[in-house]
Amino acid sequence: MATTSPVSPGARLARAPFYFNSESNLTRIVRERATNLDELLRGLKSCPDASIFYHTFQTLREHHYIRGGFSNDFAQWVFAACNEVGLAERLAALDVRDFTSVGEIRERIVSTVESYLKHHPAAGTRPAFEPFYFCASETVITPTPFVANTLAEFADALPRVSLHSIHHHFITARLRPPLTRNDFSVWLEEDLALASLAARLNRIDIYTATLNDVRARLLQLVQQEMARSAQ
Amino acid sequence: MNPQKPAAKETAARAADAQPAAAPAPAATPANAAAQERRRTPRIPETPPVPAPPARLDDYEPVIGKPELDELRFLAGSLRGKTVKMVNSTAVGGGVAEILNRLVPLANELEVRTKWEVITGGDDFFQVTKGFHNALHGAAYDLTNQALDVFLAYNEQNRQRMEFVEDLVVIHDPQPAGLVRSKEASPGRWVWRCHIDLSTPHPGVWDFLRPLVEQYDAAIFSSPSFTRQLSIPQYLFYPCIDPLSEKNKELEESYLEKVCDDFGIDRSRPVITQISRFDRLKDPVGVVEAYKLAKRYVDCQLVLAGGGASDDPEGAAVLQEVREAAGDDPDVIILNLPPWCALEINALQRISTVVVQKSLKEGFGLTVTEALWKSKPVIAGAVGGIPTQVVHKLTGVLVHSVEGCAYQLRYLLTHPDFAQQLGKNGREHVKENFLITTNLKRYLVLFQILLGVTQPRPAA
Repeated sequence: MATTSPVSPGARLARAPFYFNSESNLTRIVRERATNLDELLRGLKSCPDASIFYHTFQTLREHHYIRGGFSNDFAQWVFAACNEVGLAERLAALDVRDFTSVGEIRERIVSTVESYLKHHPAAGTRPAFEPFYFCASETVITPTPFVANTLAEFADALPRVSLHSIHHHFITARLRPPLTRNDFSVWLEEDLALASLAARLNRIDIYTATLNDVRARLLQLVQQEMARSAQ
Repeated sequence: MNPQKPAAKETAARAADAQPAAAPAPAATPANAAAQERRRTPRIPETPPVPAPPARLDDYEPVIGKPELDELRFLAGSLRGKTVKMVNSTAVGGGVAEILNRLVPLANELEVRTKWEVITGGDDFFQVTKGFHNALHGAAYDLTNQALDVFLAYNEQNRQRMEFVEDLVVIHDPQPAGLVRSKEASPGRWVWRCHIDLSTPHPGVWDFLRPLVEQYDAAIFSSPSFTRQLSIPQYLFYPCIDPLSEKNKELEESYLEKVCDDFGIDRSRPVITQISRFDRLKDPVGVVEAYKLAKRYVDCQLVLAGGGASDDPEGAAVLQEVREAAGDDPDVIILNLPPWCALEINALQRISTVVVQKSLKEGFGLTVTEALWKSKPVIAGAVGGIPTQVVHKLTGVLVHSVEGCAYQLRYLLTHPDFAQQLGKNGREHVKENFLITTNLKRYLVLFQILLGVTQPRPAA
């Protein structure tokens, strides 16, 4: 538990500091390619986990400036290159926050495509307008000098770290234990005893906001907490 | 995801719309007359300008932001003192030299000690490598044993002359690919950076090169569609632009006015621009046709600017075809510019209302990148690397026909809010993926992976 000294929550020392890291990704081109939905399905089954990660999580970072439109590369390709809007909508509804492993995400995508092809068998061999090239992500985690010992220091660091750092702690963190939660919320709850704030952060919608929006909303919630507690 | 129709169907359907009479031309005034005269005799610079000093790392802070710049420094931290050698076949001219000119000083500023060396060769060598280059792009080629001997002999000569003591060696393109024979005796990791499209290579030339390529530790390609199946890891590095170069840096309003004045462009009316060589694969005649269709609905001007018509007989023929297609329309401005007109090109892109790149075949299409960086709504052919940059209706629009291009011109010229949003997204897309700083970052990450120097620290 955090201390219960009379200092304001903004200045209260956390049990452990929050170290901001950043994440840099390199795109590796893998063997699988698809020129129709049948081939996409085969590729989905055989590609490495790093490919599923790349085409779901990575897309959120690479297109972080778009509100709506992009949720994952599979949905976008099925829509734009195959013109299978029904399947595209179902794939686009996939929310990476609902899963605790890349394997689970793969299973959901495979079953979605299989189910669609069962009802629309002719769609399987219809040539796509352009091929889908499976890629994979190779990730390097880099420490940054930003460290927060208090909520105020956390608020100070948020605007100064890169969007890749926000993506690392807020989005891909959900695949690291404790699963489905982001690093910020875990720290706020476990090291600053701010469970309510942690829950509010965890509810920020990453699909209807840009990463800059996410950063702004994180900061807003933290500042509101400091202002509320100071009263 | 947005329920949008793919470009091909929509553009074809819309093109069937009825066509009204052409929009009225502006009334003749003395100012118009001066502009008309300027269009007939544009003021084109006759000599290259003095080159600007190269940008330093800190100069990029206003462009990409301090957090992103800091991240480059953090990444380079664990590579400090490591040595890198880049090798290509030309010090000046061409996209590779242009990138290395910017990349190498930036890497050194980050204390990743990077050298750039250029292989040497006689005319016979460069004739062979030009043949290889075209053949790897799919052109017919008469591959002879003599050509192979010339290629290997010059590679061997350079290999004997050069030292490879660095931690990393990056060899650019096929010309110096044979240097990899020094790999076994060198302490470093070797990477082959392929800047060309290998999707449909001449089988003989590729069969010859492939065993060399597979001796490297990794290969880098500009697009997944440019790759071959290889036994070594293949990475994706998009081509990039330098936001601080003459072609892309911010320009003063007064300079934009001057360029418009020099070329007779009326900024009070919409300007459609295509920047490209006068080459049939860029379909400049198709652009004129699309403009003419669009002009029935919206008053606008068309600027077609590029080079390649002065030193290339085919370019001159295409320029003539474009002039014939334009006829006596005073609002079509055709500019055959020399290679040193980077600032003028930059200005033309900036004063454009819509930028078109209606290519029928394309490499990556860096002119598209340049236009997106300037927040311009872009209409482009869905070929080569263009769909990577132009995500339909998100960062621009893709078209497949003259009619489709015409429809999108009409739409964007009459829906400025949508056009503005495309431009805004397009700039962010370039900022995230296609700037030289991103390219530098990719190299830093690759070096970390190849050298195994990453030092991850657990999150909170």
